[in-house]
Amino acid sequence: MMKKRKNLGDIGNSALFLGPTLLFFSMTVLLPFAYGLFLTFNKMDTPADPVQFAGLLNYISAINDQEFWKSMWLTVRFVVATVFFVNLVGFGLAYLVTSGLRIQNTLRTAYFTPNLIGGLVLGYIWQFIFVQSLPALGTKLGISWLELGWLGDPTMAFWSLVIVTIWQTSGYMMIIFIAGLISVPKELIEAAKIDGAGPLKRLLNVTLPLMVPSFVVTVFLSLKNAFMVYDLNFALTAGGPYGTTKMVSMHVVNKAFIESNYGTGQAEAIILFIIVAIVTGVQVYTSKKMEVQA
Amino acid sequence: MRNQRIISSTFLYLLSIIALVAFIFPFVLLIINSFKSNGEILTSPFALPEKLDFSQFIEVYNLMNFGVTFTNSFIVTTLSTFFIVFFSAMAAYHLVRRPSKFNKFFFTVLVASMVIPFQSLMIPLIYIYGAKLQLIDAIPIPLLIIFYLGFGSALSVFMFHGFIKAIPIEVEEAAKIDGCSTLQTFFLIVFPMLKPIAVTISILNVLWIWNDYLLPSLVLNHPDVYTMPVQMKVFNGTYMNNWELLIPAILLTVIPILVMYIIGQRSIINGVMQGSIK
Amino acid sequence: MFHFKSNTGFFKKTAIVGIVTALSLSLAACSGDSDQSASGSKDSKISIIVTNGKGEIDAQFKQTAKDFMAENKDINVQVESVAVGDPMNVFDKLTASGKTVTMAMFSPFDATHKYKEVGMDLSGEKWNEETNDAIKSEDGTIIGFPFAIEGMGLVYNKQVVEKAVGGEFDPYSINTQDKFKELLDKIKSSGVEYPVAYQTEAWSVSNHYSSLFLNQSEDPNTVLKEVTDGKFDYMKNDVWNGYYNTMDILASEEYNKFGKRPTGQYYDAAHVAVGNGDSAILFNGNWAFDSLKALEGSDFGFMPVPVDNDPENPLNNKIIAGPTQALVINKKATEEQQDAAKKFLDWLVYGEAGQDFIVNKSQIISAFKNNPNKVTNPLGIAISDALVENKTLPFSTNYINTGDWTTILGPEVQKYIAKQSSRADLAKAFENYYKSNKE
Repeated sequence: MMKKRKNLGDIGNSALFLGPTLLFFSMTVLLPFAYGLFLTFNKMDTPADPVQFAGLLNYISAINDQEFWKSMWLTVRFVVATVFFVNLVGFGLAYLVTSGLRIQNTLRTAYFTPNLIGGLVLGYIWQFIFVQSLPALGTKLGISWLELGWLGDPTMAFWSLVIVTIWQTSGYMMIIFIAGLISVPKELIEAAKIDGAGPLKRLLNVTLPLMVPSFVVTVFLSLKNAFMVYDLNFALTAGGPYGTTKMVSMHVVNKAFIESNYGTGQAEAIILFIIVAIVTGVQVYTSKKMEVQA
Repeated sequence: MRNQRIISSTFLYLLSIIALVAFIFPFVLLIINSFKSNGEILTSPFALPEKLDFSQFIEVYNLMNFGVTFTNSFIVTTLSTFFIVFFSAMAAYHLVRRPSKFNKFFFTVLVASMVIPFQSLMIPLIYIYGAKLQLIDAIPIPLLIIFYLGFGSALSVFMFHGFIKAIPIEVEEAAKIDGCSTLQTFFLIVFPMLKPIAVTISILNVLWIWNDYLLPSLVLNHPDVYTMPVQMKVFNGTYMNNWELLIPAILLTVIPILVMYIIGQRSIINGVMQGSIK
Repeated sequence: MFHFKSNTGFFKKTAIVGIVTALSLSLAACSGDSDQSASGSKDSKISIIVTNGKGEIDAQFKQTAKDFMAENKDINVQVESVAVGDPMNVFDKLTASGKTVTMAMFSPFDATHKYKEVGMDLSGEKWNEETNDAIKSEDGTIIGFPFAIEGMGLVYNKQVVEKAVGGEFDPYSINTQDKFKELLDKIKSSGVEYPVAYQTEAWSVSNHYSSLFLNQSEDPNTVLKEVTDGKFDYMKNDVWNGYYNTMDILASEEYNKFGKRPTGQYYDAAHVAVGNGDSAILFNGNWAFDSLKALEGSDFGFMPVPVDNDPENPLNNKIIAGPTQALVINKKATEEQQDAAKKFLDWLVYGEAGQDFIVNKSQIISAFKNNPNKVTNPLGIAISDALVENKTLPFSTNYINTGDWTTILGPEVQKYIAKQSSRADLAKAFENYYKSNKE
């Protein structure tokens, strides 16, 4: 009898503490995920139609969708470029603001500022820079490669997206690196100094290996952000010129909500999920391994 | 040796100033152009404005329906963040202190869900809550808040979880002996100890939710319920190429969050730093 | 937020249901007053609802409704404008909330496609005598009142061109491709390095420029039918090819300010360049004036887009102009309401205050010959002059699904401009589009 009441109390407590999170998480993540999977195996031209089993049809049309793979490949290149540069610049900034400059707190505040602004608004801001301001500057100073807007050329439009992403997110990574840098024991650095190691050597042999935990976080974050980029892509280039900068996220959104091809769109979204899961999984696993070895 | 030090610190200063300019110039450019006419903006974007004319700000304020839009963003951001922090703390506490099989499994699911791209969920999400249940147009703002509660819980529970694990259980046991219920123990003893991480989690959620565009753009279909990013997108579509209106609009969208940053920069930066260590 | 394909209905439907709920709640909250006056059953006053699709003239439209009511005491006109920035259609909203819109403003394409069931026959109206621009349904019945005329062609900076030709310039003298090239060379030798500033936004190069070829038959629907049936052979069609030959000139490195990288977002840059005389010519419509006038003191005009070297070809001698907004009277309104709406239309055409509202107050080009007023915008003047002199071709954009063209065909045309695809590829893209979308 006693025991039973206690159990009931436990259930009550569980419902109280876990209930809300369980409910909302299920409503917005678990249920749509499961339903989304279910939908990919069915025909869904319009949501009003009765559900009709379609086997792998949606996946087949996703796999045959050349535009999808084109946007995926573009996204992969974007991921590689941004993960590399965001971490490089982020680490560089962190190094700068922990090297004892008198204005380092001001610098830190300033470098972080772009993170406060969402991708959509950033896209509009930089559109003004790439389309209006730089060409005006180029004309005034006679720099011919600046005279024409950057977003009209596929390669330059791609790098514009990369540059804005670096500008937006490296301040955030900087903060994470600062946390890592200040936890590097001073004694180790001093010891290396006494051993005659120069600044570069100290950085490579002492500091960097100890920074691996920070890199696990920053690489994970920058990977995930880059794979899912939409707002910036939408606002800055809108996929242009002539569809050459359409990332996978935009492709899926357009497929579903503009072309009304929900089935294929969702199948492509699932493929994207699998790729992201594998890539981030491998990244976290291998870098955790590095961490242990270091 | 001394000379070398001076050279290297000059070099570091130089680098940091160059970076500073790179990070700040877009904002400066926006501010100086917000007072100009379209013609001035297009022909000489780098020139200083001739006079400080705020009339465009007033016009844009009205055109954007700023009062309503700001209120919507404010309500969505604060309510979502408040409930995320509150519910996630409770859930994380429960998951740490009651490591049953189900709870361990649920925690694993939560953590694993962090790699699911939003794009893989949005179509069924809109399908279920729009087409099937017709909630998107009936209660757009409450629904959006519920969505944020769902999408925000994984990371927040994860961060609370790491923090609570490090809290010694003895304090709570003492409270229990004094006759506190689990609920009382949590609110009187545990929650106050979570303040640092709760601040961090609030900051991360505020930054995310305030700036989010894709989810609200799918849920909010009527001007009365637009949040700032959605309004900005519509505004950009309506006044395409009309930079004398667009630039003040961008600034008006950005200013609230910048003000927040200026007031709370220390805790924001420390908060983000805290979050990364866990 | 997203421009969902209009024929899916999914999001529209859900949106409408939501709006209905919202509106019925708000209606319950206020008294039933407005509702009753709208249906007009209470007293002898006839109440009509008119939707205005041009949000920017909301104030003027409401004022004109007041003026009309002052003259017609038995009619009550309620004007519902599209809110600036609101993507939802007022007509759908009102209809969903159970009201009957008596008269609605649609784009001509919507009036004859999406809302083709709405409009009643207006063939018997007197104002048809004063205009050639009434909107006809597919079977030729007149269903739309032409509310606003807009036009497009090659916009030129008068000062620059006159300096180059050494005196008065007649835009209609440029009626062959060769003469056009000659003009460009003249402008070049007068010291303007790049005579053309060609902006290549998707809507411009697709909806506007790429629909021009439909005007090769007197009724664009004739060619359109071949196109939609998949029987139109693009590569063998001289007019279709001719327009892209002209486009090649406009986008060329030789003449185009942006020729080295022709596909950028040059809307502003192009208008600034032509506005201040750094360049002389661009392709756009009368609305371009808002962007041009940022620079003061210049004058502008339109010339036809040449398609070949035959000076007799009407396509080479006329600019594009036509109604871009149409008023449609709802079949479902009561007869009394319809009559009241017709009265309002007559008032817009024949009433002095109505004429003044359209042209002077709203700066809209009137579709009616009897309207004595003139807009002050030089591009608008050029179009109304062309209308009077019968130098206009139909507004070809009215015949196509502009949403699809911008998103699907726009990038294809841009690809062609950037020399990333051949003309045959472009023809193929048009063919494929019409194969999968029979509209």
